[in-house]
Amino acid sequence: MNMIADTMTANMDNKPEPQVNLDIEYTETVGAYTCDDAKISTRDVNVFYDTNQAIHDVSLDVGRNEVIALIGPSGCGKSTFLRCLNRMNDTIDICRVQGKILLDGENIYSKKQDPVLLRARVGMVFQKPNPFPKSIYDNVAYGPRIHGLTKNKAELDDLVEDALVKAGLFDEVKDRLHGPGTGLSGGQQQRLCIARTIAVQPEVILMDEPASALDPIATAKIEELINELRKNYTIVIVTHSMQQAARVSQRTAYFHMGRLIEVGDTNKIFTNPKHELTEKYITGRFG
Amino acid sequence: MSISALLLLLAFLAAFGFLIGRQKIHLQYKQQSEKPRITTLPKYFGYVAGLVSLIPALLVLFVLHVAETPWINHQISEVIASEGLQTDLDLDLYLNDIKNANSEAEVAALSHDKQVIHGHYQRITKTAEWGKSAVVISLAVLLGLFALKRINTETRARLIFEKIIEWILLAAASIAIMTTVGIVLSVLFESMRFFGDVPVMDFMFGTEWSPQTAIRADQVGSSAAFGAVPLFVGTMLISVIALMVSVPLGLMSAIYLSEYASRSVRAVAKPVLEILAGIPTVVYGFFAALTVAPFIRDLGEGLGLSVASESALAAGLVMGIMIIPFVSSLADDVMSAVPQALREGSLGLGATRSETIVKVLIPAALPGIVGGVLLAASRAIGETMIVVMAAGLAANLTVNPLEAVTTVTVQIVTLLTGDQEFDSAKTLAAFALGLMLFVTTLVLNMVALYVVRKYREQYE
Repeated sequence: MNMIADTMTANMDNKPEPQVNLDIEYTETVGAYTCDDAKISTRDVNVFYDTNQAIHDVSLDVGRNEVIALIGPSGCGKSTFLRCLNRMNDTIDICRVQGKILLDGENIYSKKQDPVLLRARVGMVFQKPNPFPKSIYDNVAYGPRIHGLTKNKAELDDLVEDALVKAGLFDEVKDRLHGPGTGLSGGQQQRLCIARTIAVQPEVILMDEPASALDPIATAKIEELINELRKNYTIVIVTHSMQQAARVSQRTAYFHMGRLIEVGDTNKIFTNPKHELTEKYITGRFG
Repeated sequence: MSISALLLLLAFLAAFGFLIGRQKIHLQYKQQSEKPRITTLPKYFGYVAGLVSLIPALLVLFVLHVAETPWINHQISEVIASEGLQTDLDLDLYLNDIKNANSEAEVAALSHDKQVIHGHYQRITKTAEWGKSAVVISLAVLLGLFALKRINTETRARLIFEKIIEWILLAAASIAIMTTVGIVLSVLFESMRFFGDVPVMDFMFGTEWSPQTAIRADQVGSSAAFGAVPLFVGTMLISVIALMVSVPLGLMSAIYLSEYASRSVRAVAKPVLEILAGIPTVVYGFFAALTVAPFIRDLGEGLGLSVASESALAAGLVMGIMIIPFVSSLADDVMSAVPQALREGSLGLGATRSETIVKVLIPAALPGIVGGVLLAASRAIGETMIVVMAAGLAANLTVNPLEAVTTVTVQIVTLLTGDQEFDSAKTLAAFALGLMLFVTTLVLNMVALYVVRKYREQYE
């Protein structure tokens, strides 16, 4: 809730500086926002908090088994956009989403779609590590238990171990699986949250600044993990760090004041941005 | 000088000390040629001067005030002895006559002896009063002057002021603790007297309660029985019924309010629910006695059960309604305090709202929920009025909720109402019951604390 409120106020206050005061109202997205093999595709998405519009006409495809990074200054709507992809915004009363968001060609905002099932298919990792106040084992087993993914204890044990191994956490916690998840370090907690998400075997993983609360070593581990996870999952990552976007993603989308300004291959965006706003952001002139 | 005038004067002196002290430092600062950038504000020196004159004077005033009456009594009894007057009566009663004679007509109505003593009494009280005033005022003035003379810009006035505040706060906290200790001790000592008459085992494990003692030896039922078991069973029965009503209802309404209700519904529903706690218990009492109890009796008769017109069930149900807000309000607060991140984490894994509530929120909020239930339980155990009106006074040893029962608190009330001697086993039994009740709730508290600590799932 708070984060959203912050986003809203930031959106209103964070006017670009005079010299970059371009008329972005009618800016078309620069670059190819479509993909050949799209896992998720959004068309003309508008998001409102009450009467404030946080997202304006965003159309963007996310390719299968691709890591796409959403970058942009604070309050530009990238987190809001991310939270549309698994209908997490449903939990906010005043939030309205318009437009089409397709997952494997099916509109996730259609009446037939069960948001709970959707969230099992589109997992989410949050900015601040938020392990449940339960044991490490129970944290990872939480999703599988809810969805009845395993038939017996042995299968569940295997699934938990598998998820922890994939998240690169197993060796560090194998002796204290029944110790509290909140007792881990920040980086370990975040990898626990990733393991918890993997355990549900989602198709897409959304990451909302997953490393912003972590130290450089823990961040490096998370980035390594993202590179590893790409083989099996489609990943959408919101990040403040352009280096991180450059290291982990294949495509990058630049958001500014609720609009998608430019999207393209990561190396092209960072070496040769086409839009003036993108260039200014990447060269550190604002943001 | 009367106490209120004295207090006013002390406050005036303290204010004076404050102003002078502040001004003194203010002037000293002005005279300094090289002024440090940050200095202690002059008002702190004023506070120190004012409080140094005020607080010891107040303490001495309190001590003197408490000591005044014994001193006057002592002086008067010496006067009585020296005048060679006869006081075959109780000295306290004799003195009361004199002290209560305030108007001239009342003085004239006293016997000659007493009029003489009354004259002495007035002289002594005057002495005491003026002595007290003189001591207190001179103490305040002297300490104030001393403080004013001693303070200068080098005094660490802020630190002294902080220390004084710390002591004042400590004193405030200790008043509550001392009062509790005092209550416990007085109940304990009276109970000891009771257990001098009635064996502890008979009281704790006896199954018959009839506290009436015959006045004459040849009356029927001359021996009283002080078995507290029926009372405690009655208390537990009614409390359990009340908790069975209030815990599920309270918890569910808390979950609805904190997780499902929209902001506007919550803004209306929560205060309305809390109004339940504000209804006087006596109103609940006649609601229970006049509406619920007959309803239950009729319902029971319809089902072919025999229901007493005053039943534990009626009292328990109404009490349960009454304590719903204790559970719901606290549980709602703690559940709302669970970080949003935990909710989103669970929802993000594809859990439904109800799964999130059962598996994440309630475990995380458990300490607060147990706290609310505990508060409700102690409220139920201590509740008197509803039981008096709806469950009756008969000390039946039964766990059948359809019969009339009585509780510990109700019996304490009946034991102590009316004109009673305070040294009979009957009245002293009230203290023993109070002690038992106190111990019970204490044990309940400790068990709950243990449960909370053991099953707590810590977030953050």
